Amino acid sequence: MRPSWMLRLFAALGLLVLLAPGLLVLVVSFSAGDFLTFPPPGFSLRWYQALFTHPGLMAALGTSAMLAALVSVLALLLGAPAAYAIARLDFPGRDVLATLLMAPLLLPTLVLGLGLLLVLQPLGLVATWPGLMLGHSLVAIPFAVRIMTTAFAAVPKELEAAAWTLGATPLRAALRITLPNAAPGAIAAGVLTFLVSFDETVISLFLVGPRLTTLPVEMFRYAERTTDPLIAALAMSLIAFALLMVAVVERLMGFTRAMGRD
Amino acid sequence: MSDAAPHLRLERLTRHYAGAPAPAVDTISLDLPRGALLALLGPSGCGKTTTLRMIAGLERPDGGRILVGGQDVTALPPHRRQMGVVFQSYALFPHMTAAGNTAFGLEMRGLGRAERARRAQVALEMVGLGALAGRKPRQLSGGQQQRVALARALAIEPELLLLDEPLSALDAKLREGVRDEIRALQQRLGTTTVFVTHDQTEALAMADLVAVMDAGRVEQLAPPEEVFERPATRFVATFVGRAARLKGMLEPGGVLRCGGLALRSTADLAPGPAEAFLRPHRVRLLAPTEAPPPGFDNLLDATLARRVYTGEVIALETETGAGPVMAELHAGADEAWRGLAPGAPLRLAFRAADLAVFPAS
Amino acid sequence: MIGWLLAAPALAVLALAFVWPMAGLFRISLNRTTETGAMETALTTESYAKLLGDAFIRELVWNTLLLAGSSAAIAVALALPVALMVRAASPRWRGPLALMAIAPLLVSGTARLIGWMAILGDNGLINAVLMGLGLRDTPYPLINNWTGVRIGLIESLMPYAVLVLIAGLGRLDPRLEEAAATLGAGRLRTFLRVTLPLAAPALLAAWLLTLVLGISAFITPRLMGGGRVFVLATEIYDQALEYVDWPAASALAMLLLGGLLLLMLLRAAVARLGRQRA
Repeated sequence: MRPSWMLRLFAALGLLVLLAPGLLVLVVSFSAGDFLTFPPPGFSLRWYQALFTHPGLMAALGTSAMLAALVSVLALLLGAPAAYAIARLDFPGRDVLATLLMAPLLLPTLVLGLGLLLVLQPLGLVATWPGLMLGHSLVAIPFAVRIMTTAFAAVPKELEAAAWTLGATPLRAALRITLPNAAPGAIAAGVLTFLVSFDETVISLFLVGPRLTTLPVEMFRYAERTTDPLIAALAMSLIAFALLMVAVVERLMGFTRAMGRD
Repeated sequence: MSDAAPHLRLERLTRHYAGAPAPAVDTISLDLPRGALLALLGPSGCGKTTTLRMIAGLERPDGGRILVGGQDVTALPPHRRQMGVVFQSYALFPHMTAAGNTAFGLEMRGLGRAERARRAQVALEMVGLGALAGRKPRQLSGGQQQRVALARALAIEPELLLLDEPLSALDAKLREGVRDEIRALQQRLGTTTVFVTHDQTEALAMADLVAVMDAGRVEQLAPPEEVFERPATRFVATFVGRAARLKGMLEPGGVLRCGGLALRSTADLAPGPAEAFLRPHRVRLLAPTEAPPPGFDNLLDATLARRVYTGEVIALETETGAGPVMAELHAGADEAWRGLAPGAPLRLAFRAADLAVFPAS
Repeated sequence: MIGWLLAAPALAVLALAFVWPMAGLFRISLNRTTETGAMETALTTESYAKLLGDAFIRELVWNTLLLAGSSAAIAVALALPVALMVRAASPRWRGPLALMAIAPLLVSGTARLIGWMAILGDNGLINAVLMGLGLRDTPYPLINNWTGVRIGLIESLMPYAVLVLIAGLGRLDPRLEEAAATLGAGRLRTFLRVTLPLAAPALLAAWLLTLVLGISAFITPRLMGGGRVFVLATEIYDQALEYVDWPAASALAMLLLGGLLLLMLLRAAVARLGRQRA
């Protein structure tokens, strides 16, 4: 049935609410003024300039990028075998394992971050690379496992069986047949895990310090204190980056399939 | 078929599925000589595919043994059995070309790149796809994909060739041609082959031996002609080919009393309630004054109930005093009978040996 | 067995990053804080008692529940038309529409809130419109208060609601609505008498999910509240990092977890009922 005009109106309203912040960030980031004024007094690139020459934020950007890269690689390496097992093998407690690996995503990041702080602080691991990597892996691994499980499950079982009958040991079949065919999914998992770590805010808030901090935390702190368009430029850059990454995933794998429709 | 010892032997092979009341495969035993082609024929769910998968090592039997060339392979994982498998869905590796697919088994055996490529090319040419070696599966038609799957299985020069419903995914027009090609190739190579099908025409046309299966058991294991002409069980009589079913009482001396009429049969069973099956092509239509040919001991008066035109054959369904009997007319022959209309009186004759009699179920 | 072996490295990391900290959290909630503010190792429920006896905390929890509950309800209400639209749209549009609704999830929460600051702030879009049209002389305070927090929270919860609703509505047979139409029901009547009642389980599920998310919300209340809005999450943060009262922070966190556990059990029960009805 074709949707009524009322439905269209309300749906448009809903979408407007969802997309408005993004649009505003875009506009204000090019503002020539000194505050988050709308409409902006003029347009200029000054805040982008200020952003890319801001030492504190750029240092944090480098940290976040490096951290996200390391965490996503780690999550892929650890998650792939687990995902393969869940998707392709039949063993007792398989569903329990799947649930255990998803468990961290069920709790609020606030609580997860607090717990990490409590145990890592006495060991002096707060504001260190190991500490941050541990904290980010906590949410990255479940994500990676989830996406890769879907990717592995999508490879027809008969392909592996065919490889076995041709003389491939189960290991060789997994590496030569299943993995290459699941590769797009693995790449999608990598990209999305990178984003998850790159944007991770709350856990990081508990685990950063003067000697090591991440971009989302610095952005948060900046937004708490000041309201100038620099933060909008930063926000816009992050939004653009995230959208670009998602476009890449969509190209590779079809986004909704990558998320694994429940 | 020269070797005395069977190339493939299944010994009391059994497989259960959890939660199912009856076994999927129920103590199946059969022998297959070297170079022969065996068809596992039966309706869906009869256990034929499960049996094939057990031979391939893709499923583990719950009981029994599988011997190839005298060796017990039951515990061997699939990658250690020397068997070429063609799956119903072909299962071609989408990320490799036809040549890559075909060479895969050779790669697993450690052959060098040049040797692999050569033998893969030979295999592809055997199935007529030499020119398409560089294509990926998605660039090939269904029929071409099937040939690549076949080439891939044959390239490793397997002990056994196993085919799971190889023709079912093909268009009806292609099926006959491919069927004959597979058979010709198999005979040329002399590879012992087992193939699974639910299509009896395929089984009868291709196989040296047919195993008719139902509910996990082999009802009859025999060459095609024997299965068709001398069905061993009621199931085979009704599953393979068409047959009329006559119910009655078997008396001593092989006389079957149906509907008050006495039919002569060669049945060697204890007297009692019985069912007899009669194939249409064994029934001779007699002209009103024609005498039955010698040996045709059974003569029935019949009324034509239905005629069904299917092109090559006109199926006639008649009613007799003994029950419904089926006859057929062939296109081109029997011009005199073509004008028959329902209700027309007929005289039918058939031999005593043509009645396949079984105890009533 | 091999499955567990393959997953062992991942499980090991999660044990380190998840199990150990949660155990630590529980353990520290049983410690006590001395008058000087230092943490003293103990095995007592004192911290819990202090929290539950504190009127400020009780009011805090109540406000959090109210905020989360109402924001979740509005989020679901706003998400429903979007989900219905996705369902009713032609297949060509369905994907892009769904993507637009879910895209905000991929963008960091802080970035979106900055957008809201530009919309709700004294110099922002809404006030520009209001003052420009002459409806007001001074800016209407939509930020640094509960209103701003509510709006930001609603927007952040909507994508989740849309996801749940799309899944739930997907099970609704469109022929039921067609049948209603052939029986004479207009669009609105069909919606009220057929679609809505059938969608009720999905709506409830969406509300419960967003409620769970809303109760633990931290960034939105913090940024949109301007330091004046206190919810459970901000209090936990303050206790842990500002006052460094770890027993209090962990006790509060455990209480939060307890409440969430109850809600999750409720969600599971509702889901089971929903499946039985279907």
